Amino acid sequence: MAGLTFSGVRKTYPNGVRAVHGIDASVGDGELIVIVGPSGCGKSTLLRMVAGLEAISEGEIRIGERRVNELEPADRNIAMVFQNYALYPHMSVFDNMAYGLRNRRTPRNEIARRVAAAAKTLQLEDLLARRPGQLSGGQRQRVAMGRAIVREPDVFLFDEPLSNLDARLRVQMRLEIRRLQQSLGTTSLYVTHDQVEAMTLADRLIVMNGGVAEQIGRPLDVYRHPATAFVAGFIGSPAMNFLPATVAATGSGVIISGTGHTLTAAVTACEPQRPVLVGLRPEHLLPASEDSAALKVAVDLVEALGADTLAHGILPGDGAGPALTVRLEGSRRVDVGDTVPLTVSPDHVHLFDPGNGNRLV
Amino acid sequence: MIERRPWLNVLSHFVLCAGVLVTALPIWITFVASTHPADSLMSGRAPLWPGAHLFENYATVLDSGLRAAGSVPVGMMMWNSLIMALMIAVGKIVISIIAAFGIVYFRFPLRRTCFWLIFVTLMLPVEVRILPTFGVVASLEMLNSYWGLSVPLIASATATFLFRQFFLTVPEELAEAARIDGAGPLKFLFDILLPLSRTNIAALFVILFIFGWNQYLWPLLVTTDESFYTIVVGIQRMLAVDDAEPAWHLIMATTMLAMLPPVLVVICMQRLFIKGLIEQEK
Repeated sequence: MAGLTFSGVRKTYPNGVRAVHGIDASVGDGELIVIVGPSGCGKSTLLRMVAGLEAISEGEIRIGERRVNELEPADRNIAMVFQNYALYPHMSVFDNMAYGLRNRRTPRNEIARRVAAAAKTLQLEDLLARRPGQLSGGQRQRVAMGRAIVREPDVFLFDEPLSNLDARLRVQMRLEIRRLQQSLGTTSLYVTHDQVEAMTLADRLIVMNGGVAEQIGRPLDVYRHPATAFVAGFIGSPAMNFLPATVAATGSGVIISGTGHTLTAAVTACEPQRPVLVGLRPEHLLPASEDSAALKVAVDLVEALGADTLAHGILPGDGAGPALTVRLEGSRRVDVGDTVPLTVSPDHVHLFDPGNGNRLV
Repeated sequence: MIERRPWLNVLSHFVLCAGVLVTALPIWITFVASTHPADSLMSGRAPLWPGAHLFENYATVLDSGLRAAGSVPVGMMMWNSLIMALMIAVGKIVISIIAAFGIVYFRFPLRRTCFWLIFVTLMLPVEVRILPTFGVVASLEMLNSYWGLSVPLIASATATFLFRQFFLTVPEELAEAARIDGAGPLKFLFDILLPLSRTNIAALFVILFIFGWNQYLWPLLVTTDESFYTIVVGIQRMLAVDDAEPAWHLIMATTMLAMLPPVLVVICMQRLFIKGLIEQEK
């Protein structure tokens, strides 16, 4: 068991493309860190650098006290679960799990013991003689997990392990991975582009964008206090609404550009007339009575999900007005063409710098 | 594809039957000729039904060969052919797997150039480079040896290309997983890549064995010692007799025997062969 430390880790490819622009982070012993971000943000590259599949251009990665930059993947004592599982197609489930141990010259009875234990944990006992081709997606996923577990590594690396599964299985495997990780207490890095997976699995999140860690923190902290407009838009589903606005001259709130709507917000740190980007989460917009409403949205599309109803619309004003999505209770009936009066608590009004996207306190 | 057009069925069956006839008739005539005595073939009319001398002719061929016509026993020539064909087939497969493995899995300077150099040799078959190759083989004193028969034919751009294409379809993650599992390049090659290429190797073996077995020009050049004659060359020698009629019945019997090993290889490896041609197990 060991923690994991990144200091100033950068990746520059030989063709000059810079994938990772300097990550500093530390992962505690037994912690599960989820690296989340859109495709091409460098999250997989970061993971592969930990695995040793990509060279580290600059900086240092330590597993425990050991600098691993120069070590071969096999010598880093890590185990990786790949997106397409990467099981050896011609080997039985048992051999798939045992292969790494055999290469490390683990005694035969020790291999048998570890594989049996992993198979028991993952309910693969009846499948040990089969080949990957004869397994379902979920079972293959488990074998891939089993291959990682038997190595008893310092760090688990997961590279979007659930994205090849169907929605139901994904939820189930998500729970299994979490349970397993907690019972084994192994330090884990988990890469995903799915923010629901990120929120549910993570002890802490690293939200990456364009090769930079935009925010590192506990899932709920990231949700409540996103450090940048990017993080705010990426974490949370449906995504946060962004409205261009200016700080009111009175210093008590913001005026949504082009609509005349005024929102009460904590703007004490901002000078009046300053342009800002207002972020409102769809679930924080609450229906209100006509006269107490801060915003009125003209609904042009309704998605009824059962438990919730998502209403998409625009804030009427001069011109088209900014678009807005609202999450309403499923029992509430909304029709296209309705105007829904809304209110929002000042605590839930996020303000960002329109230039660099940083959060304004 | 399911179509309900009776006349199309009739037409396609006709074409197929005609094709079978065209392919099978010469083989049948060869077989028939190998069962007749010498004089019945000299009468000017080729018989269409087997005669009574089947065992006699084959026994003669296998036992003594055409000593009278100045040839060596067929058994020995078949042995030579077998050695040569096996050496060529195995050699080609080994060399091209190693070459393709290097080209696909290793980054080294001029990797692409190397690949294209190999590929370009497709344009230089043995017939084109036969004189210089003969010169090299002669100065290496490999004339009249099994090495001389097989080594110059072993380098194979086609097989290298086939294996390269196959290796490219093997997911990269498999190599990465093996690396994490502590398998070095050679271990990865033997434990993972070769078992996955099993069907490709079988298919290629069949093709290359037949290629090797049917070699004519090169064995004709490099063998002057009768004990290294291959069967295909031997058949030609049987025809080239002075002052006598070729012993057609025995030549045909030899031809039938010469066809046997390739047919056996195809039949034995048919399942793997077809699998290798049509699907890739992943």
